[in-house]
Amino acid sequence: MSSPSGTNSGGIGPSENLSRRSGGGRRGPMMTAAGVGVVIVVAIIAVVAGWAVGYYTAPSSSNNKNAVTITETGSSLLYPLMASYWAPNYTKLAGTPIALSTASTGSGTGQSYAEAGLVDIGASDAYLSNASATNLVNIPVAISSQLVFYNLPGVTAHLNINGTVLGMIYNGNITNWNDPMIQAANPGVALPNAAIVPLARSDGSGDTFLITSYMYMAWAGWATHGYSTAKLSGTLNSKIQYANGNAGLVTLAAGTPNSITYIGNSYRAASIAKGLVAAALGNSNANTAAGGVNPNNYLLWSSANVSQDANLALTRLNYASYGLALSLIMGGSPYGPTTLHAGGGGTAPTAAYPSPYPDVNLEYTLIKATGSAQGPSHQYYVVQFLYWALGVGNQPVYLSPLGFLPLTSNVVALTYQTLQTVQVSS
Amino acid sequence: MSEPIDPRPATDAETPSSPSPSPPAGRWSGGGGGGSALLHILELLPALVPLAIIVIVLVAMVGTTRGVPFSVLDFLGSSWLVQPPGVAGSSYGVSTFIVGSLVTSLPALLLAMLIALGVAIASVVYLPRIATRFLDPFVDLLAGIPSIVFGLWAFIILRPYFQQSLTPWMAANLGFLPGFAGPVSPTGLGIPITVFILTLMILPISTLLIRDTLRAVPRELWESGLALGATRWEVTRRVSLRYGSRGISSAALLGFSRAIGEAVAVSFLIGGATNFPTNVYSTTNTLSALIIENLDSSFVNPQEFAALAEVGILLTAITLTVNIIARRFVMQLGVHETVV
Repeated sequence: MSSPSGTNSGGIGPSENLSRRSGGGRRGPMMTAAGVGVVIVVAIIAVVAGWAVGYYTAPSSSNNKNAVTITETGSSLLYPLMASYWAPNYTKLAGTPIALSTASTGSGTGQSYAEAGLVDIGASDAYLSNASATNLVNIPVAISSQLVFYNLPGVTAHLNINGTVLGMIYNGNITNWNDPMIQAANPGVALPNAAIVPLARSDGSGDTFLITSYMYMAWAGWATHGYSTAKLSGTLNSKIQYANGNAGLVTLAAGTPNSITYIGNSYRAASIAKGLVAAALGNSNANTAAGGVNPNNYLLWSSANVSQDANLALTRLNYASYGLALSLIMGGSPYGPTTLHAGGGGTAPTAAYPSPYPDVNLEYTLIKATGSAQGPSHQYYVVQFLYWALGVGNQPVYLSPLGFLPLTSNVVALTYQTLQTVQVSS
Repeated sequence: MSEPIDPRPATDAETPSSPSPSPPAGRWSGGGGGGSALLHILELLPALVPLAIIVIVLVAMVGTTRGVPFSVLDFLGSSWLVQPPGVAGSSYGVSTFIVGSLVTSLPALLLAMLIALGVAIASVVYLPRIATRFLDPFVDLLAGIPSIVFGLWAFIILRPYFQQSLTPWMAANLGFLPGFAGPVSPTGLGIPITVFILTLMILPISTLLIRDTLRAVPRELWESGLALGATRWEVTRRVSLRYGSRGISSAALLGFSRAIGEAVAVSFLIGGATNFPTNVYSTTNTLSALIIENLDSSFVNPQEFAALAEVGILLTAITLTVNIIARRFVMQLGVHETVV
C-alpha cells in the first residue's frame, strides 16, 4: 500500500519527466500548434456529440428513471420507420415508461438475434419459415414494396420490364438494351444499342430478397440462384456491379449511363430526384410470350397498386397452417405464394387472378412466443408496443413519408390474434 | 553503435536522452528473491498475448466450421453459390476471391512502398528540419483516417473521376500494355480505384516505419559514408537502406496485411463481381470483402457461416505465411549484420 507513494516521492517518477519535457523551450511552437489543433478537434467532437446526445435523449426525457428499454435490431429497410417515426412517437406518449432502442443491422442479424434472445424484436424483410420451431412468432407490421429503376440516356418513357427479362438481365442472357425481348415489350420506344450495366446490393438486403423472389417466381431460369436476402451468388452476368445500401445504388445508378437496378420504396423519391426512371413491372400474366407483349400486364408503382396486390395476396393467407408467414410477391399470380418458400403460407389459387403491382412484401418483426429473455413481464411491454405499431403506428402519417403502406384490416385482425398467443404477464 | 542520431546537422543543442534503466526488481517485490521469478513470469505474459490471440482466433474459427462439412475441392473452385438452408446445391469456391485479393493488395503494396520510401528518404535525408517538423504530423494524421471514410470519399468523390477520365485515358494511352486495353468498368468501380485507396491507406504506416528506421541509422555509419566521398544519395542507398532493410520489410509486411485485410473500403470500391479479372479495369471481389458482405445472411445459414469462417482462416493463413516467408528471407539476407 505504501510502496507506490514511496516510489513517487523517490524523485525518479514520471513527474520529473513531465516537467523536463514541458520546460524544454525547443518544442514550444510545434507543441502550441498541435495543442491548438487538439483543442479544435476536441471542441468539434464535443459539440457534435453533445448535439447527438441531446437529439437522441430528448424524446425520452419525460420518462421516469425505471424506464423499460425495448431492443430492436435487423432490417435496414424497416429501420428508418422504427428509428425516425415509431420510436420517437411511441416514447413521447404520456405515461409510457418505455424507451425503444433500434438498430439497422440487416434481416439475417434480426432473425438470429431474436432467435438467440439477444433482442426483444428482430426485424426482418422475409418471414421466418420455421418460426414456431425456434419459439418465435412472425408479426407483420407494414407493407413494403420495390421499384426497378434505370438510367438510360434519351429514354424517359417508363419501360415495360417483366420478371423474366429482369432475371435474364441479371443472369446474363440479355446484355443489350435493344434486345428483341425488351423491344417487343416496348413498341415505339427507340432503345439504344448499349450494353446493360446491372447493379445490385453488395450487402445483405431485403431488397435483394424481393427482387430475387420476383425473378424466381417469374422465370424458371433463375431457379439455381434461389431467393434470399444474401448478395446474389452463382454464375451471373459478369457485368453486374455491386454497391452498399440503397443510397449507394441510387448514387451509382445515377452516375452510370445504361444501368438498371432495384430500389426499395423508401428511396423512391431520392431515385426520381436523381433522374432515374421507374420501370412498369410485369405481373404474373406478363411472363408468357403473348402476355409479355401485352401492355396491360405492366404496372407502375403507386400506393393503390401496391395495396391492391397486398389485399389480393392476403385473401390467400392460410393462417391455420402457416400463421402470418406469407410472401406478397406477385400476390395475384397463378404461381401463388405457396410456391415460394417451403413452410410459407398461402392457399393455392384456383383461377388466374387479375394481377396487380408484383413487387410487394410484408415487413416482419419476430418476437419470442414464450419466455422472453427478460421474462414475461418484460414481454408485456414488447407486445404493448406492437399493438401500438399495428394501430396508431400503422397510419399513413407515419408510413407514407417512407413509402410504406398500412397493413390491411384482415391481416391486422390476424396479427392481434397472434399477439394474444404470446405469453406475457403485467 | 551508439545512440540513434539524425544524420542532418542539428540546428540547436539537443541533449541525447539517456536510456532509462530498467527498474530493479526489489522496487516492486520488496526485495524478496521469489518475487524476481514471479516478475519474470509476469514479464513473459505480455509476450505471450499475441500468440494466445492467434491461437484463440484460429481455434474459434475452426470450431465454427466443424459439423458443417462441404467439399474441399469446391472451396478451391471458382463457383460461389449460396442456397438457402435446407436447399441443396450450394458451392463455396473462393479462388476468384484469392485472385481478387492478390491483384488489389500487391499493386497497392508496390505503389505504397515506392512512395513511402521516397517520402521517408526526403524527410530524413533531404528536407530541412523545419519542413519535416511541419510535414511529418500530416503523415501521422493520414494514418488515423478511418478506412470507412476513405471508402466513402472514394465512392462518392473519386469514382466519377476514375469512371470518366482516368480509366478511359489509361485504356487509350496505355492500351499497348497487356491487360490495359479495356473495356473499362462502366461505373468506375473496380481494381484501379481499389488499388488507389489501398495505396493511400497503407502509405502512412509504411512511411512512419521507414522514416523511423532510417532515423535509427547510427550517425557514425552515415558520417563515415560521407567521409569516403559518397553523396547523400549514395550513402542512403548503400548504407541506410541496407541497414534498415529489416524495418523496411516490416513496413511492407504491415502494409500487405492491412491491404489484404481491408474489408469495408474495398467492398465499396471493388465492384463485387465473383469473376476472375479479365483486364486491369475489371470488377472482382476479395476475401475480406466477401466476409463482410455475406455476414448478415450467414447468420441464418449455418453452412454459409462455416464457409465464411473458413475464408477467415484462409485469409489469416495467407497473411501469416507471407509474414513467415518474408521474415526468413530477410534473416537469410543477413545484410543487417554485414553492414554493421
